[in-house]
Amino acid sequence: MSVLTLFLIIFVLFVLIRIVPGNPFPVERMSAEMILQKRAELGLDKPILIQFVDYMSMLLQGSFGNGTSLYNGAPIKPIMMICLENSFKIGVLSILFGTAAGLFLGIIAALNRGKFLDGLCTVVSILGVCIPSYVFMIFLQYFFSYKISFFPYFFDASRFLFSSIMPALSLSLFAIATVARFTRNEMIEVMNSDYVKLAEAKGLYGFELMRKHVLRNALIPVVTVIAPLVVGLLTGAMVTEKIYGINGVGKLMVDAIAGEGVDYNYVLALSIVFSALYIGIMLLLDILYGIIDPRIRLTAKEAA
Amino acid sequence: MFKKFFMLICAALLIAGCGGGEESANNKLSVMLASNVVSLDSGQCTDVASFEVIADCIDGLTQLDADGKAIPAIAESFDVSQDGKTYTFHLRDAKWSNGDDVTADDFVFAWRRHCQKAEEYAYIMDSTVACVKNADAVIKGGDPTTLGVSAPDPKTFVVELDAPVSFFPALMSFPTFYPINEKFYNSLDSGTYGTTPDTFLSNGAFVLSDYLPGTANIQLKKNDSYWNADKISLDAWQYQVVSSSDNALIAFKNGTLNLVTISGSQVEHVQADAELSKNLKSIPSGALSYLTFNQDPKNHHAGALANVNLRLAISNAIDRESLTENYVMNGSTPTYTAIPIHFAPNAKTGKFFAEDQNQFADYVGFDVDKARGFFEKAKSELGKDSFELEVIYSNDGGGSTKVIQAIKSQVEENLPGVILKLQPMPKAEYLDKVTTNSFDLALTDWVPDYDDPMTFLTLWTTEGCEICEHWSNADYDKIIADCTSGSLAADYDARWNAMYDAEKILLENAVIAPLFTNANAILIAPNISGVDFHVAGVNRVFKSATIK
Repeated sequence: MSVLTLFLIIFVLFVLIRIVPGNPFPVERMSAEMILQKRAELGLDKPILIQFVDYMSMLLQGSFGNGTSLYNGAPIKPIMMICLENSFKIGVLSILFGTAAGLFLGIIAALNRGKFLDGLCTVVSILGVCIPSYVFMIFLQYFFSYKISFFPYFFDASRFLFSSIMPALSLSLFAIATVARFTRNEMIEVMNSDYVKLAEAKGLYGFELMRKHVLRNALIPVVTVIAPLVVGLLTGAMVTEKIYGINGVGKLMVDAIAGEGVDYNYVLALSIVFSALYIGIMLLLDILYGIIDPRIRLTAKEAA
Repeated sequence: MFKKFFMLICAALLIAGCGGGEESANNKLSVMLASNVVSLDSGQCTDVASFEVIADCIDGLTQLDADGKAIPAIAESFDVSQDGKTYTFHLRDAKWSNGDDVTADDFVFAWRRHCQKAEEYAYIMDSTVACVKNADAVIKGGDPTTLGVSAPDPKTFVVELDAPVSFFPALMSFPTFYPINEKFYNSLDSGTYGTTPDTFLSNGAFVLSDYLPGTANIQLKKNDSYWNADKISLDAWQYQVVSSSDNALIAFKNGTLNLVTISGSQVEHVQADAELSKNLKSIPSGALSYLTFNQDPKNHHAGALANVNLRLAISNAIDRESLTENYVMNGSTPTYTAIPIHFAPNAKTGKFFAEDQNQFADYVGFDVDKARGFFEKAKSELGKDSFELEVIYSNDGGGSTKVIQAIKSQVEENLPGVILKLQPMPKAEYLDKVTTNSFDLALTDWVPDYDDPMTFLTLWTTEGCEICEHWSNADYDKIIADCTSGSLAADYDARWNAMYDAEKILLENAVIAPLFTNANAILIAPNISGVDFHVAGVNRVFKSATIK
């Protein structure tokens, strides 16, 4: 199923990118004859379906098309790996921060349900979902780099961790909101469940109750929303990376699409990697779900 | 559990935060690049950013001094044969950054390879520009060893030309003519040359210390084995790719960048700030902005623009003074010739080719009555009195929108009946439309590759590149052919005058409507000096730059 999905995605992307307007050769100084020669060299003159078959056969051998950028002839894979690594590092940092802050907010909200703090946490969550991370990034950049000159104005690879803080913060906004909302709802559900009520009746209260009964049960499903967020961060960081000058996959994608020439090979290769990551993680989650949450296993057994 | 987690994050942030004290890097040159470097392979790259960075790292046979005159670089001296068709360059003892000698074979290898690769800039070797012997045949797939270059000994490089080229020594400062170390190149995996600091060799002023294709930040440092290393004062410096000029302006105010290019609309803002405006300079760029008319009689608006009077009418209905003053605003100059101003000085008189802006006043200018006269003629010839025309332009830079809107309102007001429909699009799509002729008018910027009018005039020949199709004039083609590789090539004055004749044909037919010669508004920090700006080829040179 996952393989089929991936195949379909690749097919649609492949066809789309060749149909939409745009020219992979942003040449101004070549004659028509030479452009045709170039296109033929790269097999772009063949019918799209045949190009697709060629592409798939090369992909199965582990290479993205002819493996080089149409734009500068440099091999795709090593550059993509470096960029993936950069994006991944920042992504992990923002997930760590986003999860921590999200959990904190969610728990506070659940414990103070209906009160002022709950409302505040809800507002923060809504803002987090509404404000695009790059807008927050521009705000951070303006304030912390320009007004008070604390963080570097552009990403500085020689101080990786330090200059990762602002982009990681801005990217974590969405994670904070998602995790907080999810945690709050789960906790409230658990707190209203019979077993918690029973525990309370037996005399357990306060921190003990929360830690042993409520949190443990409420946090299990939260794990499942974090995984897809990781991929979302890799792909969602496009504008943020571009603004801050981070050599990540997001910037790579923007440049491949919006550069002078549309780099078919890069756009496809990156899209395939993004889709594969996403599908892979969803598959993993489906499997993990059963392992993490005993109730699913039990219900499945009873049904069988 | 989550508490520990949270504390860990806090601790990490705190530790990281402590690194913030060292933020006073103002004494390091940080230069804005407006677009990514496409490739550091001199046979592959096509963009000004790449040319600039390659020229930082590699020296060619010659280089340009602050005034744009060719002075020796790797070639200590050169001899020209009597007929001007054979150049013998005597190379100095220069080294590559891996310790190898720079030899004539490195030039032979690079030149042959570029012709064989036949990328976009291979054209600069062929009979339209450098006229290197047999270059046309090699570019079309011929045997690269037949190219007119040879290395009789490691320190002598001989180039044979099909025709004398008056600007040949200056042309040698262009990156396509730079050497590549053959042994080093062959030791690399295919396609990896120039993709990291390890796969790139310098023989010039600087070496790369951090680079990746498409990178946002490029670090360079002084090349200690450079032949002229004593004259290089910059130690370590960097480029930052910033595509938004708003971002660049803030980064300049902040001290993060100390040389940036800003847009016309920002100039006003900068001038209002007394402190900031001291850093403002306007640098002539040599790039011409003009309107291209699609003269294809079969195009979807029934080929109205195939009518010369309609084209002349539009060209004369545009108030270029008002355009540059109120909409471009970065110091650009109104231009009434097909060759931009501040460009291509005559070798004998030193006067710029387009010094006389009035010589084609009959065809190009701003005169509403004249424009309406042309328009009436066009209407009766075409039997129509309203024309809806599509204008395409690239809005990647953002600056063109105001300019094109101003042109629209001027033309529509001065020529009642003409309606211009504006079609903004990304550069990639724009170039696609231009090369496939799906437009009526296109706003074009052309950046000169070398300091000779031919870099513009060859655009409009029948055989020329795709940017201006469906106009063909045998007289024009003949003049250009005579000037580049034919009978006039050897006679400097005759060639110079013939180019004016060609320009006249171009403008009396209104193949284009010249608008203005671009300038770049830059902000440069007061502690920086010695950056050379050139109108053609490599636009900025940092070899003699100093920072206090």
